[in-house]
Amino acid sequence: MTEKRMSARSILNEWGVKDFRVIDKQAISEITLGASILATGGGGDPEIGLLWTYKVIDEGKEILMIDPLDVPDEIQTASTACLGAAIVLTEKPPSGEVLNLAMQRLETYLGRPIEATIPLECGGVNSPVSYAAAGELGVPVIDVDGMNRAFPELQMTSWVTHGVHSSPTVSVDNRRNVTIIDTGDDDVLAETLARRVAMAYGGISWIATYPLTGRQVKDTSILNSQSIAWAVGRAVMRARREHLDPIAELLESLEKERNVKGFRVFRGKIVDINRDFGSETNKGFTLGAVTLEGIDNYKGQTATLDFQNEWLNLAVDGRVLCLPPDLIAILDSETGEPIRTDIMKYGYRGTIVLIPAHERMRTPKGIEMFGPRHFGYDLDYVPVEELNTSGGEN
Amino acid sequence: MKETGQLRVGFDVGGTFTDGVLMQGRTVLAKAKSLTTQDVTGGIVEALDEVLSRSEANPADVAMVSLGTTHTTNALIERRNLNQVGIFRLGAPATTAIPPLTGWPEDLKQAIGGSELVHIIRGGSEYDGRDIVPLDKQAIADACREMKGKIDSVAITGVFSPIINDHEEQAAEIVRDILGDDVHITLSHRIATISLLERENSTILNASVITVMQRAVKSLRAAVRERGIEAPLFIVQNDGSVMSADYAIDYPIFTVASGPAASVRGSVYLSGIEDGVVIDIGGTSTDVAYIVNGFPRESSITVTIGGVKTNIRCPDLLSIALGGGTIVKHEGDVVTSLGPESVGYNLVRLGKSFGGPLLTVHDTAVALGKLQQKLDVFKTNYVTHPEKIAALPKQLVEQAWMKIKQTLEEVIDKMKTTPEPVPAIFIGGGAMVVPKVGIAGVSEVLSPDHFEVGGAVGTTIAEIGAYAEGVVDLDIDDRDEAIANVTEHATDNAVAAGAIRDTVSVIDVEEIPFTYMPGKREKIRIRVKGAVL
Repeated sequence: MTEKRMSARSILNEWGVKDFRVIDKQAISEITLGASILATGGGGDPEIGLLWTYKVIDEGKEILMIDPLDVPDEIQTASTACLGAAIVLTEKPPSGEVLNLAMQRLETYLGRPIEATIPLECGGVNSPVSYAAAGELGVPVIDVDGMNRAFPELQMTSWVTHGVHSSPTVSVDNRRNVTIIDTGDDDVLAETLARRVAMAYGGISWIATYPLTGRQVKDTSILNSQSIAWAVGRAVMRARREHLDPIAELLESLEKERNVKGFRVFRGKIVDINRDFGSETNKGFTLGAVTLEGIDNYKGQTATLDFQNEWLNLAVDGRVLCLPPDLIAILDSETGEPIRTDIMKYGYRGTIVLIPAHERMRTPKGIEMFGPRHFGYDLDYVPVEELNTSGGEN
Repeated sequence: MKETGQLRVGFDVGGTFTDGVLMQGRTVLAKAKSLTTQDVTGGIVEALDEVLSRSEANPADVAMVSLGTTHTTNALIERRNLNQVGIFRLGAPATTAIPPLTGWPEDLKQAIGGSELVHIIRGGSEYDGRDIVPLDKQAIADACREMKGKIDSVAITGVFSPIINDHEEQAAEIVRDILGDDVHITLSHRIATISLLERENSTILNASVITVMQRAVKSLRAAVRERGIEAPLFIVQNDGSVMSADYAIDYPIFTVASGPAASVRGSVYLSGIEDGVVIDIGGTSTDVAYIVNGFPRESSITVTIGGVKTNIRCPDLLSIALGGGTIVKHEGDVVTSLGPESVGYNLVRLGKSFGGPLLTVHDTAVALGKLQQKLDVFKTNYVTHPEKIAALPKQLVEQAWMKIKQTLEEVIDKMKTTPEPVPAIFIGGGAMVVPKVGIAGVSEVLSPDHFEVGGAVGTTIAEIGAYAEGVVDLDIDDRDEAIANVTEHATDNAVAAGAIRDTVSVIDVEEIPFTYMPGKREKIRIRVKGAVL
């Protein structure tokens, strides 16, 4: 089915879509930085995905992004992603064909061509990978995703909380091994299986997942999430060039692009990291807690954060300021570079910024699937803007 | 107190000057400064002659000659005298999405032979020791035959080789069989840690400067022998410790950025302190390093060499724009900012102390009476226009002094890893003109003698640093046993670099968990040090 395709442009012609944005190297580097900031400390190092996308662009393959509202209802889309251990990925980058293979096998299983990619999440390698895939496959990228942040598990998406599913998911590896996971509406089981498959492959798998129609994309995705990440990344890069305050620029970009207010609530230095291996059920996530000692205006205050790959919650002097699924970013105050849970070290300094999760992540079903109680807190979800009525610093 | 012990000669090659010292234990018997020459070796030989003649030491009594050198860095930056490198990556069918040399500057790529010498071979390992696929030995042999006569050296990088190096070793054997011993082979697991692309870059860079280092060692050995010194030659690596010259020929990339590390080690050695913070204050900037067990803490950030991203270990240095020549900006009596601009070498023309128009850090020290002796760096006295200094408003000067102190306190705090006060060692030409009393977070401030040749002194500390790493699954493996295994590997590495086995001890143990993977897998990284004499 793939061989019939000409290019992303010919697909857009067929649909009669005239508005699109060409993703060049600068664009993808800005989107990737913005996505890393929205990744809430998780997602891992995006470098491999970024280099891959650069290579795809260098080979003259065009990457075009379109607005979700321009997508025809009946077309088939799917998401592509890397699922597995981040550290394995940095040592074992993929073959150039894993994404093609996964998508082709998903097409075969579905019996119809996939005509656009939808990014899964903001953060790490999976942000740029959606673009590399679009370039490799000759299909457009839709300006959406399923989280507008990063989360540790495949089912933690607005897609699932709005009634669509990750199945069938195709998982492949570099040796062209293919596993089809079709668990119907059991998205938690799909996640469990997909992770086991990744382990069996050697720590990393490449998946084609969430086969959604154009209509489903519009009804269940975080709309324009790529534009949001792009605006954030662009603002921070501009701040670096022009020696502006990256945090202020970031907050302003969120207001402009998403009409949402973020909060700058703490500045401090990491003084204690307590890493804990595996949860009781040995789910296989990096769990732990980190303590920051306040500096500057926050001297004398103490911030504590729990993490499960991503930052989960924030309390300052025992007062809860943020709960999942709202976003927490710890950013280098000078460069705006996010401090990730996998590389944070004693002595790192940063500014903590809180960002309200997208409305489609905050539905009752969403709070049930990835709110505080899901992560083991005996707390009801309270939106970050209600926990920070004083508004933080600007 | 006169120290006894072996005589050691050390050199530190900088951009402008080459420093030399003759040491006996912690005592500096003689020191010399020569201009760094284009070929680097010339300046070293000149400094050597000077320390020998000043100390009147018997060359035959010298037990160790060591140097920190910029031969390899210069060659890489200037793209000069580089080897043609045959590049093998053992990892297909994985890894092909990002081939070797991706992201390299075009001129450097061409200088080492370019993409035609790149071969991605089927092979490599999974993290748990299984083969990705069996190693394609035939493909390696074919590639060697094709490259025969076209290459000087070979770089081999296998997926997960820092954990399992079998495929790299097997590939090396094939290369040696076909291309002979004249083609030098670099294996990535000897160079750097997990992270394929950066390790591969480090390995290729290493292979490209083998001949440069070979020639440097050869000419230095000859020069040293000519002067009647029979002692072994050591080269400084970028953790500030040394390695034997033969080892350095195999691993020249470890000399990159060795200069600052040697300075840090030297000042620590002179001060007799093993843990603390070193503040190197120059004319325009200040470098701060943190010392643990006598070694500068390693940076976890990728290091760019000649435009290429690498993951070789380097000291964690924090630089800020504060030095003796930094301009104190003010509106009337109120300080608006410290720098970042500096008058640099023009201090003697532009600074208030010298009749110039600008207020600098140096001038505030003069105004507050903190400077009372002539400084070597100036031909004149430290102040030639005292009337200009006397005219400065007291409030302004005190405010500036306070601001300098705060800036130093902040940068020290950034590098510290514990809230407890730690000793601070102030070195560098600017150390005389900054506050050293009542610094927050600091238990004591030390300014050892001879710190201006600290880099050369650092090279004479007869210690070798090395490391090793491994992956363990804590559900299956015993943690203590795993740590013991990795320690043994690190010890082997130290011995290969010239250390005496019995003297090797652990500097630090780092454990990094594998995220997004079920189980209790983690990477263990262990650093050790050992004595060479």
